[in-house]
Amino acid sequence: MTSEKHPLLEKFTEQIQHCTRCGFCQAHCPVFGATGRPALNARGKMLLLKEVLAGKLELNQELVDSLFQCTTCASCATNCPSGVDVPAIIKAARQEMVGLGTCHPAFSGMNQVLDDYDNIYAEDEPEDFDRERGKQAEVVYFIGCVGQYREEDATEAALDLLDHLEVDYTLIDEVCCSGVLEDVGFSIKPALAEKNIERILATGAKTLVTGCPYCYRTFNGKEIYAPLREAGLEILHFSQFLARQDLGVSTDLKVTYHDPCDLGRHCGIYEEPRKTIKALAPNFVEMPSNHANALCCGAGGGVRGAYAKNSLAMARKRLAEVEEVGADILLTECNSCVHNLANAKLRAQKFQVMTTAQFIMELLED
Amino acid sequence: MDQRDKEAIREIVGEDHFSDELIDLVSYSYDSSDHDHRPDCAAYPADSEQISRIMQLANERGFAVVPRGAGTSLAGSAVPINGGLVLDMVRMNRILDIRIPDRQVVVQPGVVYAALQKALAPSGFCFPPDPASGKVCTLGGNVATNAGGIRGAKYGVTRDYVLALEVVLPDGRIMHTGTKCMKSASGLDLTRMFVGSEGVLGVITEITLKINPMPTASRTALASFETLRQAGQAVTDIMHSGILPSVLEIMEENTIRVLRENYGADLPDVAALLLVETDGYTDAEAEYGMQKVVAAFAANQAKTVSQAKDRAEAEKLWAIRRAAGSVAGGLRPNNLSEDVTVPISKVPDLLEGIQKLMEGHKYPFVIFGHAGDGNLHPKIMFDGSDPEQVKEVHQIAEQMFKLTCGLGGTLTGEHGIGLAKAPYMRLEHEEMAMEMMRLLKRTLDPNNVLNPGKMALDD
Repeated sequence: MTSEKHPLLEKFTEQIQHCTRCGFCQAHCPVFGATGRPALNARGKMLLLKEVLAGKLELNQELVDSLFQCTTCASCATNCPSGVDVPAIIKAARQEMVGLGTCHPAFSGMNQVLDDYDNIYAEDEPEDFDRERGKQAEVVYFIGCVGQYREEDATEAALDLLDHLEVDYTLIDEVCCSGVLEDVGFSIKPALAEKNIERILATGAKTLVTGCPYCYRTFNGKEIYAPLREAGLEILHFSQFLARQDLGVSTDLKVTYHDPCDLGRHCGIYEEPRKTIKALAPNFVEMPSNHANALCCGAGGGVRGAYAKNSLAMARKRLAEVEEVGADILLTECNSCVHNLANAKLRAQKFQVMTTAQFIMELLED
Repeated sequence: MDQRDKEAIREIVGEDHFSDELIDLVSYSYDSSDHDHRPDCAAYPADSEQISRIMQLANERGFAVVPRGAGTSLAGSAVPINGGLVLDMVRMNRILDIRIPDRQVVVQPGVVYAALQKALAPSGFCFPPDPASGKVCTLGGNVATNAGGIRGAKYGVTRDYVLALEVVLPDGRIMHTGTKCMKSASGLDLTRMFVGSEGVLGVITEITLKINPMPTASRTALASFETLRQAGQAVTDIMHSGILPSVLEIMEENTIRVLRENYGADLPDVAALLLVETDGYTDAEAEYGMQKVVAAFAANQAKTVSQAKDRAEAEKLWAIRRAAGSVAGGLRPNNLSEDVTVPISKVPDLLEGIQKLMEGHKYPFVIFGHAGDGNLHPKIMFDGSDPEQVKEVHQIAEQMFKLTCGLGGTLTGEHGIGLAKAPYMRLEHEEMAMEMMRLLKRTLDPNNVLNPGKMALDD
């Protein structure tokens, strides 16, 4: 059933055929959960691609609202009885579509922005957070676009915490890692990667700590960032770094934790964030869906930008679980999750949404 | 269907609850079977009133209407084989009433099975039929297909729990059947006529179900046997022993080998495994049942018997059984998965008969299933891109259906007839019974607008 028209997609022919259409992914897909529309579920997407490979359908604009509406949260793949790697297939399909000139405008816009700017928001002036940049230090703290331009308070808290812990760190004149472009059909920008690599290595740091789980994935996994790893740099997400620290604060508040997809399902980092949180909050409670089964916040895969209404609906489903367990505080370790969850929170929902660093700084200041 | 029809449907359900977008049409072309056909459009009705108007329109305009839950049918029951309109019941997903003192719930058809279980759990109650697709399948689909599951041996199937229904008839009239009482001897049983009707007689829009207190104790054991006959006799002995196991599963040698080689399961090289659960409301009750089971194992020379010491150990045994289908399915791109069912005492005959049928064929196959209610799941793996293989596998299936019916069995224990088994209906049902089914269909749906092409009722 190969059409030999779509080489990137055809690599996954066998995987796509292995989808038995059982539909079990509907129980886990956040997009289906928010919309109730099976065409947007993983099975719906696999059916489209099966027909594309069979030559019954064209990879054209009519398929965009399904194939580009996926947060790549990987909960379908985690729970698929047939072991279909849906996120990898979706990425390949998007790359094929972009190659054919078919794309959601939000994603082509994102790619264009990173041709013209150093960050995903097309902002001219980065916040400097009153910290020195590019100095010699043991640790480089890499903020990421969301922390730099949208969740400045979260970043401020992370940096204050590093100061409090007397960590020898520096910021750099960072640019977007551009890893997310691969998720939405494009490629990492070599020019941006080179700048980051050069500036990180110039500090002589031994450890690179990222505030953003996606940057962590990119630096750790992408070929273009191999020079960082070859230089012997230890690459950590901030939650892993924090798990090694003695924080010396505690709270009686009921605290829960949202697993960011990029940290949890994509990197297997579940326990380090919990280690930190449980140490400071004995009254820790898990939400009904947690660890590998955690609901997605709805922000990933470019969905927040392209399908804002559904993205917020997904976040609201997640927040309903916070209410269900009666937590006072929802912590997470991803600025993008914080951003979407905080935006979606209703006034009537009295709990607070923040990063672990923000919460620790609040406790320290009290 | 033309634009005028689509406009009329839009007007009934509202613009936001109608689609003729390609992505939706592709999605609604399929269910979990190997069949597919494009519908013309899809609608997401909010209530029975809207469905009633749609059915009236369908009769006036002559288009097909296919109700759909989660689309998990393994028989093609949800495939719109004549095109037309797919009615996705996803919006009718409210649990309307939970009446613990009456041991009843009232639900809309789009409620997911697992959502009902979650809602009942705090009260210590459950809806016992336990379909494998429970985390996604809908109760409307369960009723329409008379869904069963792994606990059928003790708790029966969906049919045993449906008390009353609201149904939109094919001509648009709204009918209420049954009773909200636990017993009733009043009139013909219209409720049961719709259970398992696969959406050919009416659109189910409200369901009253019996519920049970959830058993709080269980015991699980796995036994291996050198011969199929020993395992079969152990099942017979358990049935004679005066207890009802909540689960009694059998796996034959191919399943065991696949699980050992492709899943790393630590299983002996034997002809059959029995996985048994007993349950109850006290530990003593569950333990009493398990003692009877273990005695039946011993009396039939079980090679090994492992009893789970706690829930975690039981879960390990269950994980092996649950993996069987998907691990075997992964051996080839496609598989034919059936649910042939025979009287419990005939299970060994059916197992041996299928093994014999497969002799000389190149296809990997496994057989496992619910020995406690006679329902087996033979699964034959093949490559669907090769027309020769497709043809041959379907020939094997036909022989398997003949074998099953020859043993006094039924084509389908729980998946339904749909499109997949429609050609074989006459192997099981005599001509008079077929004519009575067609007469019912024609009487209720003279224009054949509701889920046409299913169950060989159009012939």
